[in-house]
Amino acid sequence: MEVPSVNETILKAEDVHTFIEQHHILQGVSFEAKADAVTVLLGRNGAGKSTTLKTVMGLLPASKGKITYQGKEIQKSKPYQIARMGIGFVPEHMGIFAELTVEENMRVAMLVEDAATARRLEVVLDMFAALKKFWKTKAGNLSGGQKQMLAIGRAIVNDTSLLLIDEPSKGLAPIIVDTVIDSINQIKEHSVVVLVEQNFYMASSVGDDFFILDDGMVVHSGRMEELIRDEELQSRYLGISKVED
Amino acid sequence: MPMTEPTPVQMFHMEEKSRQYHSGGFFLKIALLLLFLLVPFLFPSFKTVDLAIQIIIFGALVASFDILLGYTGILSFGHGMFFGLGAYCMAFLLGKYGMPSYSNLLLGFAFAAAVSAVLALLISLLTLRVKAIFFSMITLAIAELAIVLFTKLSGLTGGEDGISFMTPGIFNASFSMGDFMGIEITGKIITYYFILLCCVALFLAMLRFTKSPLGRVLQAIRDNAQRAEALGNKTFVYQSISITFGCVVAALIGALYAMWMEYVNPESSLGVMTIMLDVLLMVIIGGMGTLYGGIIGAAFLKITQTFLPDLQSLAQDMFPQAELLHNILERWLLLFGILFILVVIFFPKGVIGSLQERRYQKKKN
Amino acid sequence: MADTILRRWNQEITIAGIAILFLLPLLAIQPKTYLTLTIAGLAMGMLLFLVASGVSIIFGLMDVLNFAHGALFAWGAYVGFSVFQTLMKWVVADSILQNLAVFCIAMVAAMVTVGLLGVILERVIVRRVYGNHLFQILITFGTTIVLVELIRVFWGPNDEVMTVPRTFSGNWDIMDVIVSRYRIICILLGGVVYGLIQLILKKTKLGTIVRAGVEDRDMVQAMGHNIYLLFTGVFAVGAGLAALGGLSMSIFSLQVYPDMGGTYLLFAFIVVIIGGLGSVTGSLVGALIVGLSYNYVAYLVPWAAAGVNVLIMIIILLIRPTGLFQK
Repeated sequence: MEVPSVNETILKAEDVHTFIEQHHILQGVSFEAKADAVTVLLGRNGAGKSTTLKTVMGLLPASKGKITYQGKEIQKSKPYQIARMGIGFVPEHMGIFAELTVEENMRVAMLVEDAATARRLEVVLDMFAALKKFWKTKAGNLSGGQKQMLAIGRAIVNDTSLLLIDEPSKGLAPIIVDTVIDSINQIKEHSVVVLVEQNFYMASSVGDDFFILDDGMVVHSGRMEELIRDEELQSRYLGISKVED
Repeated sequence: MPMTEPTPVQMFHMEEKSRQYHSGGFFLKIALLLLFLLVPFLFPSFKTVDLAIQIIIFGALVASFDILLGYTGILSFGHGMFFGLGAYCMAFLLGKYGMPSYSNLLLGFAFAAAVSAVLALLISLLTLRVKAIFFSMITLAIAELAIVLFTKLSGLTGGEDGISFMTPGIFNASFSMGDFMGIEITGKIITYYFILLCCVALFLAMLRFTKSPLGRVLQAIRDNAQRAEALGNKTFVYQSISITFGCVVAALIGALYAMWMEYVNPESSLGVMTIMLDVLLMVIIGGMGTLYGGIIGAAFLKITQTFLPDLQSLAQDMFPQAELLHNILERWLLLFGILFILVVIFFPKGVIGSLQERRYQKKKN
Repeated sequence: MADTILRRWNQEITIAGIAILFLLPLLAIQPKTYLTLTIAGLAMGMLLFLVASGVSIIFGLMDVLNFAHGALFAWGAYVGFSVFQTLMKWVVADSILQNLAVFCIAMVAAMVTVGLLGVILERVIVRRVYGNHLFQILITFGTTIVLVELIRVFWGPNDEVMTVPRTFSGNWDIMDVIVSRYRIICILLGGVVYGLIQLILKKTKLGTIVRAGVEDRDMVQAMGHNIYLLFTGVFAVGAGLAALGGLSMSIFSLQVYPDMGGTYLLFAFIVVIIGGLGSVTGSLVGALIVGLSYNYVAYLVPWAAAGVNVLIMIIILLIRPTGLFQK
């Protein structure tokens, strides 16, 4: 895989509008994800974060606007085409196939079965030991944290250069969240990551750049280090009060 | 404080009403009604009067089906069955288990309404709580079962041969009231006007239903799934009431039709491929969700069916060699099937619906 | 703990329970007659399975209710009929080889033709109404009308006699039990098809993707698989299965007629409601239940045969609305 130059924009969304039935969810979202960085989309419930990821993935049609990936326009592409371009997706509900075993889940994920993929699978199983242990178990019987690991593992077993993750820490115990943080830190060494999060601890542990969404628009953006220091901004848009951790 | 001035909302409603009664559409409906009133005098041939009855009956029947399909959003394959049940109730009371009398006539209608109401409620409450599409599959199964039962249990129902009976008193074909305006007023003519009157009344009742609060809630449920969720489990109760209403009307219409035909049998009265098929074609072509679409659809289909033999012989005379043309004309159902598919794809709102939408768009501009 | 074990064995328990239920008629019927009826019921069930499995899988994967399945069933029968007419010599010949050959040719012809019909149907018509059940029913119903009328155009409107291949007809007498040869063939055919479907679903990558798609269509797409191609393929396979069912059923009942699809579509719906939409095993069990009940009741209380399956369907709706084996 070609190593992109530092600060090169890999994914760019410009003035994207998305409707769900008659509701105007995204009202002109623009953001960028740069190489060698984890970009975090923050915001309250219903701000449009998940909708943004789904629109990038093609699962929801953009009624207006442009989305570019590595210079190519993808807002009109179908989800399977976007996946084949090297974009991995971990949805909010994890998207685990409960009736299939862990092994079968991974098989569905693997687009080609060659040596490179086999090596990547090794890496995944090293990262998430539980998957090796429950290889032949039905995915529906895994715990929440294990399912999340499976979801992430599936998304990176191919030659993924952009990983979209939606609220990976949701409903997980703090120890598991740390595991997820570790895995994302490992992943970001060779993939660009766009992360949607409400959990500020998670976001601040891995994020480099941030964009805050409110009511379907980007209201603030910058470097994560600035946001960590700016408590006023945190409370205004993320509902984080001073009393909280 | 005495209210002398109407409120803005009241004024709006009054304006709407006056606009309604002066619109082109209203005059068209009056003209249509007049036409049907005059048919026995303008076109005294039996063929035409029968055609008119077919259009009236099926127009009302399709409207009752539209209550289910267009307004409640439920596709029932059992509508023909309810129609047939109403017809059989009338047949039982005037024929097999009773005799022609006015009281039995009334009982026939009451019986039809009661039986259909109970059955419709049972089926809807049973199936709607699962998935709406199950309703379609199950009504198909029950409708077919009904035909089999009515055919097999010939001791009870007259079987394949059906039941012949006579209508009482002034409705009876042999009754005559003498001449009026050049034609003889027979029992058949009186029956014609009776059916016309009843169907118009039923149609108005259906209109009233769609404009009622319940009718509006149903349309909201049909159009907006989220609203339906907010109502929780109640939606299927509303739907059940609506469906029952539509089925009862269908049964009453069936009873009226039985009065005209003075004969019932499983295939032609209950039939899925006979009654149900026609109803579906009519509601789609005419326009679902509009009630009036049923009349258009019924008129179109029935007129085409009636005059098709003439069309065929015309084609025979004009193009005697075109065998393919003749084959295709013979398979008119094939053409209607293709038309049906095309309408579903391109004009899901049918004739009336598309016209309404065109008018709405014009208003917006 | 007990709950998990119960859930794991749920399928097996259900099947066992049903099997026991079907031993009950032994109380009212002579063992030998019971055996004959059982075989008849199993055969009919297997044929119903062929039709119903297509409806079930198509609904499970694509969320499409295919009311045109009956018409596809009829088309399969008629294509097979034409093949038999053309190669009638082989049909009436007293040679297993020739009979088998003509049957196989008929099978392939029927499945390929109807499979192609399925592809056209899916791409041109069904695709436009994804996600809208009401319009799906309407449009597939309209398609049924057209397809059945086309049968009348191409083959004529009359009932035609379907000849049973010579070596398939007749009975075996096993210890005083009369066993119809063709019925055994149907049972074997159904079993083989079920086995093949399960094999493909469980052991091949394609099958795994289909099973994943039944659970979460969008996710499968987001993982790089062309779900639209999958849909067309599954629809075509479902159509092919219906065709096979039609061909086999026409030999079973010795006739083809344009409206034959209607009755069996109905049975198919009853089967999938009992068995559960989206489950192949459910279709099999449901089909066998329908076939067996029909035959036992037809023997004991003839006029109730048609109604007993509707009754079972209603009972299932009351106690377990999603079917016995809902995925």
